[in-house]
Amino acid sequence: MSSIILEARDIRYRYPRGMEAVCGISFHIRKGEKIALVGPNGAGKSTLLMMLNGMIRPDSGMLLFDNEPIRYDTTSLRMLRKRVGFVLQNPDRQIIAPTVYQDVAFGPTNLGYHETDVKEAVALALRHVGLEGFERRPPHQLSGGEKKRVAIAGVLAMDPDVLVFDEPTGGLDPSGSEDIMELLDELNHEGKTVIISTHDVELAYPWADRAILLLAGTILREDVPEVAFGDPEFVRTAHLSLPTLLELYIELQKRGFPLPEKKPLTVLDMMHIIEPLFQTTCSQAGPGTITVCNVDKDNREALSAWLLARPKLPVGAMGTRAKQRASSEHIPLDFTYGVIDKCILKALLGDDTLILTTESMVERVYMRVDAYSKESGIHITVNLVAPTTGRATDESGRQP
Amino acid sequence: MFEELLEDIAQKNGLREVNTYLKLATGLGAIILCLLSTSYLPPLVIALVLTGSILLLARVDAKTYAGLFIVPVWFALFSVAGIILISGGQEVFWRWNPFSWLSLSITRESINSGFLVFCRVMGGMSAMCFIALTTPMTDIFIVLRRCGIPDIILDLAMIIYRTIFIIMDQVKQIHAAQVMRLGYSTVRESIYSFASMSGAVFIASWDAGDDLIRAMDARCYDGKFALLGETRPVEYMPLAATTVFLALSCAVVIFSGDITLI
Repeated sequence: MSSIILEARDIRYRYPRGMEAVCGISFHIRKGEKIALVGPNGAGKSTLLMMLNGMIRPDSGMLLFDNEPIRYDTTSLRMLRKRVGFVLQNPDRQIIAPTVYQDVAFGPTNLGYHETDVKEAVALALRHVGLEGFERRPPHQLSGGEKKRVAIAGVLAMDPDVLVFDEPTGGLDPSGSEDIMELLDELNHEGKTVIISTHDVELAYPWADRAILLLAGTILREDVPEVAFGDPEFVRTAHLSLPTLLELYIELQKRGFPLPEKKPLTVLDMMHIIEPLFQTTCSQAGPGTITVCNVDKDNREALSAWLLARPKLPVGAMGTRAKQRASSEHIPLDFTYGVIDKCILKALLGDDTLILTTESMVERVYMRVDAYSKESGIHITVNLVAPTTGRATDESGRQP
Repeated sequence: MFEELLEDIAQKNGLREVNTYLKLATGLGAIILCLLSTSYLPPLVIALVLTGSILLLARVDAKTYAGLFIVPVWFALFSVAGIILISGGQEVFWRWNPFSWLSLSITRESINSGFLVFCRVMGGMSAMCFIALTTPMTDIFIVLRRCGIPDIILDLAMIIYRTIFIIMDQVKQIHAAQVMRLGYSTVRESIYSFASMSGAVFIASWDAGDDLIRAMDARCYDGKFALLGETRPVEYMPLAATTVFLALSCAVVIFSGDITLI
């Protein structure tokens, strides 16, 4: 288990002339975790998040970053804010500068980077969020999702260890929300600790490693999502709603169906639970294969030849660069969110699929499919589009 | 709204990628030449050439461009009428003395000077429009920094520029909310609505200021505003076009001398 990066010990905070927003909260967050702070409006989520980078100082109690108590002198705060990046809910409130480049460069410039380093950091951050070529655009001409990405890039440019998002999908359309959540996954996969606040249970449930349920400034429950959201009574007390999948699971359980102990996090898990109940697996012809294409390798021709040989193949893209590549090569995408699970679902139906993804995420496809194969006993083959030959080569040795 | 429209056009126009210095040289040079000229001809030529380049090169919609001229043209017409009636001259065409202390006359000289002023307005306006429609504010900031404007003024200008659009959005929203609830149905109601909107926007901008400081602090603000990106390189064609335009305009100014309308 990785080491603790953030810890709160009985912190309290009362707004001037107001009510107590945080009343004695203790928790810890480990490096590389995905944490969702879930609670109704006014539960103290935002206040708590603002404490994590020292924007608000608790009245009492102690906050520790990297096992050191947070100190509130200017120098320490600067170091803290460099390492804990904060993305506000309203990007208009976060974007300061008149152009995208200047805004993303704001952090690195103030950290005293050299001009060439600033440029490099900005280019990298914009590439990360998929906004290359937007450098000279003024923020007010961007869409809501693009503004959000600029705000995220502005924080990424400082290369923080922990990323804190207040309502990351607030005000975005469903596809925009999915894109942002995927970006958060990508960042987490690169080793960053990601903390979000939300009241969208459906969003937090499959995404988070751990969920912290807040109500009226106290922690109601803190556990893995299946447990944290597992008790309808608790969820009702917290003014939230039960995730649909969990509700379905509970309803099935009430009707006396024999269900596995592990509660479903995704539609795939749910299918795994339901299919034995009906004792029919739809994949009579045996499961389909999943092919992975690493877009960071130069395999443009191989890919198009490969795709040409398989018209109407469902294609999914994971990660910003993969989506950009798909749009630049006019590959229509069938899945853009929860791609691996959706491809496994397809494979179970006997269909083949292709996943476009970035270097760092290839391994994740193998891991997820392997895990599923082990759990369900259904073996699904994962191939890689070879960079040169244009033929899909079977990565043997990965079969469980 | 109008200001946003102008800035939006500037961001997307056909001459967006041309070096900012060349565009500013063209616009400012044209204004100076319009003022130096003692004949009506050079300002007219400048107005024609710049209007042509705004419409054809920058591909600005002709209707939008014409819209920009409505207010200044009316203003110019009234001023010119005043100049023609009040300034005297040798060769009088018409005279009227309504009072002992007021004499109105139309003379050859007054018509000439009135027409010169009108042409200067047209030339100057087209030069202003050329800058406003082809050079976004963000590019002008870069030039201002190179010109040695103090950082503090520029940083403020940039924050103000950014904030204008945020506050304008709020004005639009509040205004829409008021219109929906018939806030502008009567004069009395309009005054009341406008006042309450102003108040609300003032408070909102105060809040926005607080948020701005917080947002800057969260990103380690240390008194430095990001360095500006570089301008576009000077290319051969635009450089040649600017030089030819300014040289020809100078020539017209010199050779047209004192040519007058009548």
